[in-house]
Amino acid sequence: MTRWWPIYGLKKKLTEQKEYVSPVGLTKPKTRIFNRSLFVYVIDVGSSNALNFEISALESPQYNIHRFGIFMTDSPRHADVLLILGRPVTQMLGPLKETIAQLPEPFYTITIDDHPDQPGLNDYPELPHHMAALTGIPSPSEILGLLLDIAKTKRMKS
Amino acid sequence: MKVLTGIITSLKGEQLLVLDNGKPVLIKTGDHPEKMFGNYSILKQHPVRINDETIKGPGVFKFRYGPVTAGVREAGCFYLYTYGEKILRATIDISWKQREIAKAMQGRSPEKALALAEGVSSNFALSHSVAFSRAVEMALQQTPSLLTKNWRILFLESERIYNHLYVIYKLSSAAAQKVLAAHVSALFEKALRLNEKLTGSRYLMGINSTGRLLHAPDVAAVEQIANQYADMARQFTELYKHSLKNFNYLDRLHSAGTLSPEQAIKLGLTGPTLRACGVKDDLNDATEHLISLPVITQKEGDALARMEVRAEEIVNSCHYLVNHLRASDSWYDAKEKENIPQQAEGTGYAVVNSPSGALGYYVEIKENKMQRVEIFTPSYVGMHAVSHALEGLIFTDFPFAFESFGVHFADAAI
Repeated sequence: MTRWWPIYGLKKKLTEQKEYVSPVGLTKPKTRIFNRSLFVYVIDVGSSNALNFEISALESPQYNIHRFGIFMTDSPRHADVLLILGRPVTQMLGPLKETIAQLPEPFYTITIDDHPDQPGLNDYPELPHHMAALTGIPSPSEILGLLLDIAKTKRMKS
Repeated sequence: MKVLTGIITSLKGEQLLVLDNGKPVLIKTGDHPEKMFGNYSILKQHPVRINDETIKGPGVFKFRYGPVTAGVREAGCFYLYTYGEKILRATIDISWKQREIAKAMQGRSPEKALALAEGVSSNFALSHSVAFSRAVEMALQQTPSLLTKNWRILFLESERIYNHLYVIYKLSSAAAQKVLAAHVSALFEKALRLNEKLTGSRYLMGINSTGRLLHAPDVAAVEQIANQYADMARQFTELYKHSLKNFNYLDRLHSAGTLSPEQAIKLGLTGPTLRACGVKDDLNDATEHLISLPVITQKEGDALARMEVRAEEIVNSCHYLVNHLRASDSWYDAKEKENIPQQAEGTGYAVVNSPSGALGYYVEIKENKMQRVEIFTPSYVGMHAVSHALEGLIFTDFPFAFESFGVHFADAAI
């Protein structure tokens, strides 16, 4: 029987109730500024693409990040957090600095270096309000744990 | 069918890596190779600015889309020529992601270079890893065991499933099909978790090596994983059938980014993009499947046809995994650890059937160090196809045309 799309799968409970733990601590004291919502802008500066896939996975219903008030935004001018994927290739140093210049204060930056041993990539330039530095390919749960640490949102415990 | 996958130039002359009826062969360049292979000049010149020709006309202007944009999250750039309604030309600049990984592999041992191969485009990590290790095995005359060969094939199908799910998730999202997109993205996340359960890595990294697997998959969990793939096939089939009744969705994808079979063959395309044009390729033969998988084709060559090919391949790959995971306990090979290289230098090449088409490696090894590595990816020729497919489209069709090709800047730029 054909069902109307909005009714499709309505009974499926895809959202998980878990505790999300960040793999790293925050380098700066926690803030209360982003208690209610956290808008994240993602910039890829030279990642191997797994991190882009992990960000897409983070947007899946299992994590349902909107329930915590976390949203991906389409413009750095609306962002509270800049999530920097990969270590920068030379060509992306300029666009990275320009993107940071567009962020409204207060904001934080987070870096994820997916392949720390890979040669040919640049070190990060000096990043303002650098809140956390992750290495490897963190899972969506871990990225969510970090964002929740920043947002100080009340966590759902299973 | 012969497809030119790559060109290898050296002081001794030029050689072509050709996929001949699904088998990779290295041949010397004859007279007028451009007449034999339509993509010869593309691969020979290898521009980082694809389709870079200016268009002039009344009201025509150029604007840049990327490398920092939420629409295309990867670091890549489009230069779009338009008079305000249609895309007249799309120049694609892949230089924003160039990391020179092939160069960085030189001087390293095959094992260390393999870790870099996995980092070229990590969503194709297994395809890169298998193609690289097969090329090295050919160079060093090393024969992997049946256990290694069979598991590699299964991992390749796992990689195909999650990549195809990702493409369909992106397409349904772009078409504002929120319910479909949410359910497909849930399956995408589930597929990544199954990869982790089976191999310890969501992107199937760190399990394959040259000549062998680095560690055995979790055999205790295999039955459970097989059941979950069976469940995934059932759930996806239900979603897919339901989506085909949704004309809002189909209309958005229909006739977006159409390629003719002649164009696809000329560009040297392989994989779902070629098969969506109605051309039956032999790429499955490059993968040595335990049983041959059906080759799915469609006729229209548009974003809808590419989505349909991928959708049917997801179901086939799930069934394939279910059947063969359950038989995997019989693959134990006592000679697994005796498998060692017969020599420390040589030349090798290999092509695998990656989720987006033929992915090839050519390697030269001396004293067990990589002397030369050439990487030929489906995304590079795929970007040329995207550039052509975008011409004449209205701007709202951009995401359907781009996402349906399943190409990535990381894979194209290397």
